[in-house]
This record gives sequence, C-alpha cells and structure tokens, in this order.
Amino acid sequence: MGVSRRGFIMGIGGAALAANPINRILAEVINPQTLVIGNIRYGMVHDETKCICCRACILPCHRENKVPAEVTRLDSLDNGTYRELNKNSRQFVRKSCQHCDNPPCVAVCPTGASYKDPKTGIVDVHHDRCVGCRYCLAACPYHVRFIHPLSKTADKCNFCRDTNLAAGKPPACVAICPVKALTFGNLDDPDSDIAKLIASKTVYRNKLYLGTSPKLYHIAGKFGEIRG
Amino acid sequence: MNTAFHFDTLVWDWPIAVYLLLIGISSGMVIIAVLLKRYILVVNAADDGVIKATTIIAPLTVILGLVILIFHLARSWTFWYLMVFYNPHSIMSLGVMLFQIYMAVLILWIIAIYQAKISDIINLAWVSRLVRLIAKGERGLDIIMIFLAVLLGVYTGFLLLALKSYPLLNNPVLPLLFLASGLTSAVAMAILCGLMFYKQSVHSPSLAFIHKLELPLIIMEFGLLAVFFIGLIFGGGQKEVAATTALRGFWGAVFWLGVMGLGILLPIALKLLCSERTKFNKAYLVTMSAIGLCSVFILRMFILYAGQMVMA
Repeated sequence: MGVSRRGFIMGIGGAALAANPINRILAEVINPQTLVIGNIRYGMVHDETKCICCRACILPCHRENKVPAEVTRLDSLDNGTYRELNKNSRQFVRKSCQHCDNPPCVAVCPTGASYKDPKTGIVDVHHDRCVGCRYCLAACPYHVRFIHPLSKTADKCNFCRDTNLAAGKPPACVAICPVKALTFGNLDDPDSDIAKLIASKTVYRNKLYLGTSPKLYHIAGKFGEIRG
Repeated sequence: MNTAFHFDTLVWDWPIAVYLLLIGISSGMVIIAVLLKRYILVVNAADDGVIKATTIIAPLTVILGLVILIFHLARSWTFWYLMVFYNPHSIMSLGVMLFQIYMAVLILWIIAIYQAKISDIINLAWVSRLVRLIAKGERGLDIIMIFLAVLLGVYTGFLLLALKSYPLLNNPVLPLLFLASGLTSAVAMAILCGLMFYKQSVHSPSLAFIHKLELPLIIMEFGLLAVFFIGLIFGGGQKEVAATTALRGFWGAVFWLGVMGLGILLPIALKLLCSERTKFNKAYLVTMSAIGLCSVFILRMFILYAGQMVMA
C-alpha cells in the first residue's frame, strides 16, 4: 500500500485533466445563454430607410399566429418627420422581440416556460408550462411581451416558428413587406442574405449595454438620432 | 391614458406591493423574535406577547402573501407548476424554494417554542417524544430561522433587482432597503400586537428592547434611501432619469410626504420633542405603530410604481 509522491502528483494532474469538462459545465451553469449551439441562429434586419409604415406586416402576423386584435407581437413606431428635397419624409422603427442571445426573460422565468431554442436561437414560450406571473414581461428591456388574452400565458414574436417557418416559409411580416424592408435568415451562415446585408451596411442593435445580445438588427434611417 | 397607477411600462401593480409588505413583516418579526429569545427572554419565551404574536403573524403573513400572489397570476390554477419546475437562474424560482424551507423550519421553530404547552394539551406518548426531539434542536433552529428570515427579507429586493429593464429597481441597495423597512414594519407590528392583543406592559423587557430598535432602524432606512438615490443620480443616463422622475410628480409627492415625512421625519421629530410620559402612552404608541406600518406600505408602493416608470 502507500502512494508515492510522484504517483500522487500524477494522479492530481490526471484528475485536473479529467476535470476540464467540469469547468465547461460550470461555465454553462453560470451563463448558459452565451454558448453558441448548432449552426443556425435566426435573426432579422429592419431597414428604416425603406420602411414606409404601411403596417402591412402587422395584419398577417395576427392572422397567422392567431393573435387577438387587442394585443400585438410587433409594432411600427414613429421616429420623427424630416425635410428632404422640399418634401417631408417620415421614419419608423420596428418594435418586436429581439430574440436575444442572452435573453433576460429566459433567465427570470421561474418554471422554464420561457426558453431559447438551442437549434435556432429563437426565444419562445412553452405555453403549457407558463403560470402567467408576468416576471418576463417586466424583465424584457424592449417591453415586447404581453399576456395572451385567450391562453393567459406570456406571448410574443417567435419568428412564426409554429406557422410559416414550420412550413418552410419566411415569417409572415417578412413575406408580405411590399418594400422589402425586412430581411430574415441565419446569422451564422456567411452566405445568407442577412449576413451579407449586415456586412455591407452600418447597422445598430438596441440596448447592447444591457448585455442582451439582441438578434434584431436595424439599418438606421437617413435623418435624426437613433432611437435606442 | 397615462396616470400614476396606469402607464404603458407598468407590469406589476399594487397587489405585489401588499405581498412585499407582508413578506417584510414576516421576515422582520422572526428576526426580532429570535433576538428576543436569545438575548432578552432567556426563559419562558413562550409567555411573551411579542413571541406569541410572531408565532401567529409570521406564518399567516407568508400564507396571505402567497395567496395574493397566486391570485395575481394570469393562470392561478397552475401555481403548482412553480413547485414542480425550477429554474436556478430565476430569483422567483429560488424564492419558491426559500418559501418552502422557511415555512417548514418556521413550523418546527414554533413547535420548539410551545414544547411544554403542546405536551400538556396532547397527552400522547409519541407526540411528546416528537416535540422533545424537535425542542432538543431549539438553539440550532433559532440560528437557522434568523438566517432564513434575513434571506426572506432580502429576497423581495432581489426579486425586483433582477429586472435589468428598470434602472430604479435594478439597484444593489434595494435588498438591504427592503430588509430594513421589513424590520421597521415588524417593530410596528410587534408593538401593535403586544399592546392591543396581549395587553403587554409598555415597560416589559421585550417591548422595551423593540422600542430601542426604532430609532437606529429609521436612521438606517434614511441612509439606505439616500445611498439608493445618490447612486442612481451619479449613475447617469437612464438611472438618473429614473431617479429624477421618481422624485417628482405624483410618486415624488408620495415619497416626500409618505416615506420621508411619515416614515422618517415624523417619528424622529416626535422622539426628540415628546416627553417620556407621552412616549410610553399606549394610545400614542398604537398610533405611531399604525403610521409606521402605513409608511412601510407607502415605501413598497412607491418603489414598485415609480420603479416601473422609466426603462433602461
């Protein structure tokens, strides 16, 4: 019996090597949302230089996703009127779920009903597990969540994951936009339209300082200040 | 349609403030009762009015608070999901765990306090054996109980602190502020119950001890409030906007009159001005306790509503 000093040190070294994955597991426990999983990470770009606020995007969203009229998953907000070549031009910003890589709504959800789909990066809600505590509504810095009047659970944009996307089509708002102000696709694929668009334009994302890493990108309007 | 009680960024409304008040009372009363038991009433703690009141009010406020919370859920009948599914990243989920441990230990702690009486009333061998077993761990229970009560006191602060969407709530002073104001409400509740329901003497050791806690607690609360707002103002950006918005308008008036006026300045002024005779007058003490409870509720309402007015 008895362990030599050499054997002991080698044993410790081996244990440290074996423990390496534990470090990774620990990192995951501390901050699971920042891990990049799979190779699809859906995102969206809203081009404010193109948007005319016709609100055509809002109607099919309600229809496809069966969202009652008194609430909405997306909205178009006025960002001021500017004078250009003797005519007034108005600018608009999109308000909808940002599908954060590090979503505060998922972190606070007490039952795990709010989650980020690891295969697509889409932030979604397990409606059958939601108790309706509204903690996620309060935690979202973009204020885009609401209680669905019929299901009484937290609801918001999920990129038409259960409807259009499941049928192999782009989200309803993207498909209908008459001025092609919306671009949807895989951020992690360098050949996708969205990745090329982001690489070729100056883009911004809202409230990056909160560490949420949103996946809704904006191309700023031509005039005035960016409405963060 | 923006008013003081209905505005676009408001998510949680007044029942949450009632819940915050009730949890603060429970936490504070247990902390005070353990201190009383350990340092003031070394024997016969079960006969003291404040201890008796704590054994009734501490569990009752938690139960009432949780019932309010359950009916505040959009899907009340699914509340049990919270006890089945857990998310260790969620303060609320950690709180659900804490509530269960707190209630379990609280029951054991109360049994240990009434050990003699329980054995007198229920003449069963196994009951008295069980009670004796629990009572053997009384010292340990005291320590665990005060630890859990402090956790509960700061928990409600952490619940709101976790909301990075609201700069006023996302403030590290909030848990300490809620712990201190919970203790203040517990002092008021203890005096109210001791005098009204247990006809305790104003000069009894327990009430005298609680009386001594009042001024330090008020001064501490004042300091914490000052740090709370000075920190926000020097934080700049939306933090500063949140602080200045909260201190003006309707909620500003609520803060200056209800929190600063009723909760801090009035009690300090009366402590300095009133004669010793009035200070131990029963009617005076009952009124002051009621005002104290009101001011703590006003503080919780103010933090909840003013906190949700400005987003990050």
